[in-house]
Amino acid sequence: MRIPILRLGRILLVSIQVDLTDTDAMQFQSDLVARVAEIEALGVAIDITALDVVDSYMARVINDTASMSRLLGAEVVICGVQPFVALTLVEMGRELLGADCAFNLDQGLEMLRERIAQRGDAELGEDDDAWPINN
Amino acid sequence: MNDSTLPRTLLEEDSETLIADWLERLRARWHQQGAPGDDPVILSVHLNSLHAALCDALNEPRTTPFALDPESRLARELGELVHHQTRQGASAEEVTDLVSALKPLLMKRMEPMLHADPAAALPLWLWLDEVFERLLGFTFAAFIETRERIITQQSLSLLELSTPVLRLWHQVLLLPLVGVVDTARARHFTERLLESVARYEALVTIIDVTGVPVLDTSVARHLMKTIDAARLLGTRIVMTGISPEGAQTLTKLGISFSEVTARASLRAGIAEALSLIGRRIAPLEQARP
Repeated sequence: MRIPILRLGRILLVSIQVDLTDTDAMQFQSDLVARVAEIEALGVAIDITALDVVDSYMARVINDTASMSRLLGAEVVICGVQPFVALTLVEMGRELLGADCAFNLDQGLEMLRERIAQRGDAELGEDDDAWPINN
Repeated sequence: MNDSTLPRTLLEEDSETLIADWLERLRARWHQQGAPGDDPVILSVHLNSLHAALCDALNEPRTTPFALDPESRLARELGELVHHQTRQGASAEEVTDLVSALKPLLMKRMEPMLHADPAAALPLWLWLDEVFERLLGFTFAAFIETRERIITQQSLSLLELSTPVLRLWHQVLLLPLVGVVDTARARHFTERLLESVARYEALVTIIDVTGVPVLDTSVARHLMKTIDAARLLGTRIVMTGISPEGAQTLTKLGISFSEVTARASLRAGIAEALSLIGRRIAPLEQARP
């Protein structure tokens, strides 16, 4: 199954709500990366509130996706890591989830907006004709 | 029949017909291969002088095995013709045809001799065969040499042309990378970049990799070195134009460019670079006090 990628202005929002097979995970990764490049996204929020279990493979996929998005010029925040998930991830090695995390989606978006506001290209529209996002 | 000299009937007699036939065969072969071929007038001039040189060379006392002196007139004429043809973009086959088209003509002229006196003609036949083999070998060597010279020239000019360091703004430099990043080019643009960073005291350097076709380990390693060296001088690096595929490859190779600010496009990169030096591009009305 494909994970829907929602767009909020120049921010992309993905919410992973079911356990993904390996193929689905790769599909999700390439979909998201392609979308980031397509709209020149400024921020990406990956929400994993609904995940009760994150294995090391999934953690790596999320982490890789985060660094790919960063290479494409987007700020990345991971939201909603559950306490139990956090515990297992720490036991497996903290670097598994290297990106910045926020408590929930709301705070995640707040964090993204703050960081985007500090960027030099925040006021650039997606295209010269596009409406500036801060309006 | 004298064993040590070449019969006149073979090469010198009726040379106009021989050269005309030669030219005709050559053009027919090239036409068959779909090659445009050269101007027949120019080609015929070349073949004429090649023929004269060949006459000279073959009238020398015969040596076995036949040796082609690279300083001889024949070698020079042939080398020049091959060089000329290769520069025009001729293929290896077309170039070797220059020599191989003449051989059947000579063989045909020898036929009556073979019938008349096989014992005397056979050694001459074998010797001629050897001569043509040498000439073919020489032709091919000349072809390859010319091609290699062209390649060296091209890569040199590519090295010079394709790695400019542009001064985008006061204390902002732009390094647009286009084409394959190999060791030689990487060293070249790194040197140029460091020089410019030092000269202009650049605070920000934008490296645009839109024109780099493949981002793999070796390219990434070269870029890392460039970036590290530039950062040692005290400039900040903004990388732009990484493709989605490039980002995926880099991440899977474990390269994150973590100390680099990445931006999607050169446009965003310029905006970022300007904001890093405390400037921005704004409409005129807003900028006026």
